[in-house]
Amino acid sequence: MGRFLGLLVALVLGLGALGVLAQEEDDPVKEAEKQKQQLLEQSGGILPSDLYVQQGEELFKAKRGPKQASLEACDFGRGPGRLEGVVGRLPRYFFDTRRVEDLDSRIRTCMIRLQGFRPEEIRRSEVVAIAFYIASLSNEKTMYVRPLLPQEKQLYELGERLFYLRAGPRDMGCASCHVTYVGRRAGVLPYSDLLGDKRVASHWPAFRYSNDQAWTMADRIRACYANLGMPAPDFYSEPIIALTLFMNAQARGARMDLPGFIR
Amino acid sequence: MKGKRFLLWFTLASLLGVALSQQTPFQQRVSQAIQSGGPEFQKSMQQDPDQALCSQYRDKLPAELVPAFLERQRKLIKYPADGRLMGDWKKGEELFTNPRKGNCYACHTGDPREAGAGNMGPGLVGYGARGTSEAVVKYTYDKIYNAWASMPCSLMYRAGYHGILSPEDTAHIVAFLLDPASPVNANLKR
Ligand code: HEC
Repeated sequence: MGRFLGLLVALVLGLGALGVLAQEEDDPVKEAEKQKQQLLEQSGGILPSDLYVQQGEELFKAKRGPKQASLEACDFGRGPGRLEGVVGRLPRYFFDTRRVEDLDSRIRTCMIRLQGFRPEEIRRSEVVAIAFYIASLSNEKTMYVRPLLPQEKQLYELGERLFYLRAGPRDMGCASCHVTYVGRRAGVLPYSDLLGDKRVASHWPAFRYSNDQAWTMADRIRACYANLGMPAPDFYSEPIIALTLFMNAQARGARMDLPGFIR
Repeated sequence: MKGKRFLLWFTLASLLGVALSQQTPFQQRVSQAIQSGGPEFQKSMQQDPDQALCSQYRDKLPAELVPAFLERQRKLIKYPADGRLMGDWKKGEELFTNPRKGNCYACHTGDPREAGAGNMGPGLVGYGARGTSEAVVKYTYDKIYNAWASMPCSLMYRAGYHGILSPEDTAHIVAFLLDPASPVNANLKR
């Protein structure tokens, strides 16, 4: 499987380069769709993200950890073991942890509670693969995040505050690029319209064909802060969950494209 | 009459401002959340008062706050010890391009041959057309050292104020934009 992945990576990179040479679509979503079709034709119908999904499914169903349990009893909001469409309602408040959790942090919670892992034992790559698997079961379902409970409403407001917060050595915040100057380019990359284009937040987690990375929204947010010259918030921390809640709520009503396939 | 009413509202608003600065429960909640992102993140999210104002008003500062804002920002500008605001354009080119220094191509065109320039800021190709009068040089220097001293809450970051560019660095970039020999001005008719 490792070799297969390597081959695919080479393929993706090659195609990526070709794509840059060939005429590029202005709309990043259309461009990604084109790349995806090309890749599917070349690989006989398999995308790199399919491999993450498969790996995630194995991890999800295997009896692992000190308690030798699978994650099948994990409740993502629709009850234990019910996974269809759950990504469309995350982040949400969970009564058992008394926290608003996103997909990543909920997976982590179940790895701790059901499987008995200690927090420091949890490998990020495993959480990402499991996130891809769960996301695949929400594909084409509707994004319907809506802050209803007080805890959710509060975290939404917090996310909005952080979204517009300008700080750091570059005097920037998320909104600087994704609202105020949306449609413009920094270097060659256009900014996505997080408030206006529902497709944007509804394709995470996603595979990025330009550099062969499997990312959840948390990885995306952390990379954005790094781009602004600021140290990223820790994985599973509140700023990430709050921003995700704020952005996902903007995408309410979108048909989710999962796992996403993006530049 | 109108003036008086304005004064009243202004006083009320300032009082409210004082009350708000005493950390509302929501603000405490924000601080807590930021803290949970880790010590490094927390440190970088500390705002100076004017970053806080720009965030609060989402970059659209109320007119009555603008004069004091500009005054505060102007005071932050430092100049080279030798007083020369135009340095060496070649050094300026390197600083302008370097993503860890000026990173100016992220938002501006400059040398017309640069293909990867962004367009969030106005294009700077041929910027030298405005000449090198004292006023133009100073305007350009001030803009680069502290963009907020002429445009409150500009998207353009305050490179000098944050110490990313020294006064001497700033002067080199001024030269890159204004020196007739710089590639920025290669297309200007002389
Ligand atoms: C994040 C985007 C961004 C970056 C990075 C940036 N600028 Fe700007 N710049 C702008 C915007 C937006 C404006 C217009 C608003 C203003 O004047 O502040 C501007 C205005 C200017 C102006 C005034 C233009 C005129 O016609 O009067 C100059 C000169 C300038 N920038 C130079 C630079 C230099 C040099 C750098 C690198 C040190 C730089 N900028 C980095 C966004 C940026």
